[in-house]
Amino acid sequence: MKIAVMQFPGTNCEFETLVAVKAVDMEGEIFRWNRSAGELSDFDGFVIPGGFSYQDRIRAGVIASKEPVMSALKEEADKGKPILGICNGFQILVESGLLPGRSISCDKESEKGSNMGVGSGSNKASSNVDMALAQNVMISKGKIVRRGYYCDWVNLRHESPSKRCSGSFAIERGALLKIPIAHGEGNLVTTTPGLIKKLNDDQQVIFRYCDKNGRIINEFPFNVNGSTESIAAICNEQGNVLGMMPHPERAFFAWQLPAFDPRKQRADEAGPGRRVFESMKRYIEVNA
Amino acid sequence: MSPNRKINLRVWLKIPDAEAATVKNTLVRRLGYKNILADVKKERLFSIEIDSGDPEELAKSFAKELVNENKESYKALIDELLFEDEYVPVKVALHIEDGEAISVRERLRSRLGFGNVVDVKKATIWKLYFDTLRPEAEVAAREIAERLLINPHKDSYEILSRPII
Repeated sequence: MKIAVMQFPGTNCEFETLVAVKAVDMEGEIFRWNRSAGELSDFDGFVIPGGFSYQDRIRAGVIASKEPVMSALKEEADKGKPILGICNGFQILVESGLLPGRSISCDKESEKGSNMGVGSGSNKASSNVDMALAQNVMISKGKIVRRGYYCDWVNLRHESPSKRCSGSFAIERGALLKIPIAHGEGNLVTTTPGLIKKLNDDQQVIFRYCDKNGRIINEFPFNVNGSTESIAAICNEQGNVLGMMPHPERAFFAWQLPAFDPRKQRADEAGPGRRVFESMKRYIEVNA
Repeated sequence: MSPNRKINLRVWLKIPDAEAATVKNTLVRRLGYKNILADVKKERLFSIEIDSGDPEELAKSFAKELVNENKESYKALIDELLFEDEYVPVKVALHIEDGEAISVRERLRSRLGFGNVVDVKKATIWKLYFDTLRPEAEVAAREIAERLLINPHKDSYEILSRPII
């Protein structure tokens, strides 16, 4: 069971992510963005880690989404292989149209584009991107109290039944996970009519931000970035591609938890983020 | 009562602009514009609406706050927004609330004492240089905006070329 941990220029969580992959007894290696994309088919699953690919130029994730490896990843996703996008990885998956994924594989020609002339392929990008992860806007009591980059420990509630999604395959509905976030653009917005209803109806909303008791309170500091309906993670229709803003690899071991959490002192205990990687492994075992 | 005036500050880097270079590289190497795209440059645009005061003097004062002249140059335009003819200017701005523009307005009004500032809008101007004639270039510019420069769920764009006579 071999996992490719994708590395773009500016990715900065690939090595922690690789540690997490190996700690749940999967094999893994760093896969650089300029390696032959055809080699991706040798892997059983993929993680696009967090960071700031291409320095977030233009907007987070968009330059990486145009790389040939992303076209190859779409083909691997079509085969049902699991892809986990964390933070910047989630942003890349959104910009490439893999999430929420309604238009999956409809735009391969425009991505290749080597012979494109003037006038062809117009509006292709906007036709296969169904949402955006916009700049954070933190709202409390109807007022904007903060904007921009924010990092903190957040509580997440698992919204879908287990087995709905590769990255939460072994997590029961309603489970609470404490995992850190660190981003400036995690505010899920969309102008696609009916998309949010569809995500809810099809159980594609995987995690929402919540308080420590699991209540969804759609304002800061519980909704940490202004995301629509406090959405922190979604999967595609098939359930094999998961994008999440929080960083499970930074809460993989109990000792990574914040000082005020009593679990921090229990050195041998697993951290809450481990469940995401264990889920991915279980998904591959079941679907092998 | 005199109507409000608008100060447009066009701001660009004097040093190489890595973001513009990345955009050009992506368009040429990944999106197929090698044969028609010659160059890409970028400017920031602040459009500041004032209800009183001398716009020329205020433009200089605003530039002191918003432009770092160690690395940036600027041009102030009063009640007009003109661009040179050799490129297609594509204006990209958020259509959702722009937190940075609001912060700039509040900084100018509350912290720096410019009570005559009514509104601030912020945008990025992508200057696309083409090796092709104007009508074709504008078609390509629209494609480029939609394929790369905007995410339509948060951004909008506008081609600001002068009308072809």
